[in-house]
Amino acid sequence: MATTTLAPRAGTWRQSWVIDWLTTVDHKKIGILYIVNSFLFFFAAGVLALVIRSELMVPGLQFVDEATYNQAFTMHGTIMIFLFVVPVLSGFANYVVPLQLGAPDMAFPRINALSFWLLPLGGILIFSGYLFGGAAAEGWTMYAPLSNARYAEGPGTDLWLIGLTLVGTASILGAVNIIATVFKMRAPGMTLFRMPIFVWTVLATATLILLATPVLTAGLIALFIDRNYGGAFFEPSAGGNPILWQHIFWFFGHPEVYIVILPAMGVVSEILPVFSRKPLFGYRAFVFATIGIMLLSFSVWAHHMFTTGQVFLLFFAFMTALIGVPTGVKMFNWMATLWRGSLEFTTPMLFALGFITMFLIGGISGVMLASPPVDFHLQDTYFVVAHLHYVFFGGSVFGVFAATYFWFPKMTGRRLNERLGKVHFWIHFIGFNLAFFPMHPLGISGMPRRVADYSPDAGFTLWNIVSTVGAFMIAISVLPFLVNLVATLINGERVGDDPWEANTLEWATTSPPPPYNFDRLPPIRSERPVFDLRHKHDAEHMAAERRAPEEGTA
Amino acid sequence: MGSSTAHSRWRTGHRVGSLLLLIAALAGCGMIPPEPETETARSVFTLYNIVLAMGAAVFVGVEGFILYAIFRYRRRDDRLPDQLHGNNLVEIIWTAIPTIIVLILFAASAITLGEVEARVDEPGQTIEVTGFQWQWEFRYLDDDEDDENDHTVVGSPASPPAMVVPVGEPIRLELTSTDVVHSFYVPNFLIKRDMFPAGTEGGGNQLEFTIDEPGTYSGQCAEFCGDLHARMTFTVEALPRTEFDEWLESAKAGETPAPSRDAAGTVLEISADEIAFDTRELSAPADQPFQIHFTNLEGVVHNVSIYDANDAEILIGEPITGPDAEITYDVPALPPGEYTFICDYHPVADMTGTLTVQ
Repeated sequence: MATTTLAPRAGTWRQSWVIDWLTTVDHKKIGILYIVNSFLFFFAAGVLALVIRSELMVPGLQFVDEATYNQAFTMHGTIMIFLFVVPVLSGFANYVVPLQLGAPDMAFPRINALSFWLLPLGGILIFSGYLFGGAAAEGWTMYAPLSNARYAEGPGTDLWLIGLTLVGTASILGAVNIIATVFKMRAPGMTLFRMPIFVWTVLATATLILLATPVLTAGLIALFIDRNYGGAFFEPSAGGNPILWQHIFWFFGHPEVYIVILPAMGVVSEILPVFSRKPLFGYRAFVFATIGIMLLSFSVWAHHMFTTGQVFLLFFAFMTALIGVPTGVKMFNWMATLWRGSLEFTTPMLFALGFITMFLIGGISGVMLASPPVDFHLQDTYFVVAHLHYVFFGGSVFGVFAATYFWFPKMTGRRLNERLGKVHFWIHFIGFNLAFFPMHPLGISGMPRRVADYSPDAGFTLWNIVSTVGAFMIAISVLPFLVNLVATLINGERVGDDPWEANTLEWATTSPPPPYNFDRLPPIRSERPVFDLRHKHDAEHMAAERRAPEEGTA
Repeated sequence: MGSSTAHSRWRTGHRVGSLLLLIAALAGCGMIPPEPETETARSVFTLYNIVLAMGAAVFVGVEGFILYAIFRYRRRDDRLPDQLHGNNLVEIIWTAIPTIIVLILFAASAITLGEVEARVDEPGQTIEVTGFQWQWEFRYLDDDEDDENDHTVVGSPASPPAMVVPVGEPIRLELTSTDVVHSFYVPNFLIKRDMFPAGTEGGGNQLEFTIDEPGTYSGQCAEFCGDLHARMTFTVEALPRTEFDEWLESAKAGETPAPSRDAAGTVLEISADEIAFDTRELSAPADQPFQIHFTNLEGVVHNVSIYDANDAEILIGEPITGPDAEITYDVPALPPGEYTFICDYHPVADMTGTLTVQ
């Protein structure tokens, strides 16, 4: 019988903690590696964002030339999406999903380690362009034929393609692992409709990754062949088609938006009920809305291509409008969860509320862009930049910070300082709005994205100054966060296994959990087993009350 | 003491509140697009305002509710609130609400889209717009078959071109590119359209508009196209028909014939291929006129211009587009010194060199 994989390692020989972390196949350690690695890339991408915002603050080129600027925004976008938001959420999924399912580990612990270690490797390759004459500079969308060898010389773009292929492979492996874990590793009693909502969103995300990312990876390899071996997939002078690249990229790229946002929605849907002391309103509706978004996200990609004049506008406009519906259902369910709750404003709750208030703005601007005639004006302007940052940053990154504050006590046994956390939140929240709201009026008045410079007569200067001030505020907000991390790890408040009075199984084990997670599991009768355990007597009391009249009539 | 602190807190709060309101008002004004200057731009403007109004209503409703909930339902005691798990009726209702909203938006968009995409049989003027790294070429197509006599305007990053058009009649643009994807965008027309490299299957795009009033409207490339993307600017100058005709006639008449090629002495050879000159160093004798024979080997527009150490223009060479196009520039007598020669269309390192006059 092949049961040895789950048995604790025999023997007593000790190894250094460095070797231990480098060779670990424990999902919790791998999850933490994911998160730490992602935050390092986050800080690098943040520095690049400051380069962009400093250059754009006033007209004229002050700090960098055009080539450096183009590398900066290309690498900023690539790193934020592929090496921060997606992997950091994968990290939380890695840590939390087996715990929430009552499982001892992921289904394939060694593949789990492999899919993590491909990430820093891919990231370093993407970055290493800077050492070989300049990083990729064609935008994270890498449109052909600008990305063909003729217009993008040098190894920077090739390194970008190779690195991203590895990162894509890593996330495909991770997705397979998550799907297998969800379907095969659930504890007894954990039916699909008792799974925490975070697990549902991670499952939907993994499905999206499995269906969308191979398409991107194939496209990356095709582009690599074009650049290096005389291929002509996207080269019009040799019969290729540059519009094909856009289709391939966005067939992946739009599901990618949901890959980035769905797990963050899951995080928020865990946190709002805990700090409202109510169940998530409409759990099943929320699950169906998640599945609805997942399915619809494959039929909307060409709304990124309205101005190409080469897509069936009405179909993609209709499908894009439709995907607003399940998203709206989720918003209503979150609102109803707050309604008549008992709200406690801890730092994770503040970031979760930040998510729903800011993501709403990104959702509204998204519906505006779904209208082709409106999009003809706004496409490729700063309005799109504002929209995507309200979704990715106002949405996903707020979700990431909410998750960090929420699960930090589970990972370390110590709670991050609440006062510093709130300072972090408010500087972050105000800085975010100063940085990104002005991009709406900038785009509406016609400022194109991806420009290193703009005319002093265009009337863009005031809003650009405000935006740059906001960007530096976001950078400053990271300081209390870092101080908080270090101070808490050294001398933080030790809290028990369940400091937030939460609902799901990860809070039923110790903080941090032991190897293989659980010594014993509470009975799983709903999507909130730990809540049921805490209120066992109330529940028995209520059940007894319900039973009493029946017994009376019997 | 306590009350004065509370009072000053209230005043600080008041000030912060006023500031926030001011910012919100400014931002609100910024949400309106630029003045629409074409017929289709006006219908897009109307549609945009409808969409914005519906978005604003959703924004106020949802954010208002969340703010209300934050203040109304903050934790006051340790009591467990009612454990409300959901309600199928309200789920159906709030699935229907966004469905209705987006269907209205879709219908309004579809109607406006029909107006924006409408094409006339006989446009007042057809202009072939060619994007290249990093500027524009506007070719005014006329009725005869001869392409050579069409009036052509070519811009450079240093001097962006003006597209002169008549007002009150439909202008048709045939959009194409010689290299990468560009996008033709005039904010006041509330429209843009991508320009694909010639030969892209299905990539030949058109744009049509009718400008209401004479005036000058600025535009620029909206699709990221490489290093000098930000400098792909142009203007559209709308004139009454009679003035437009006069302009076109005089512009055609004023086009300089090819410069005379009398053997005046020194002829410097230079050629361009793959966005690079074959040499980065040229030298010429001082104080006597000389010529530069320039060969453009590729299908991308290039020229050779000469600037002195203070960036003053010595020669702005007429642009040519290959493959295998040739031109001879006459350069006036120059005092000894170092000069820069450059392609105005591709002012990159590979197309910049030093001309030593001694």
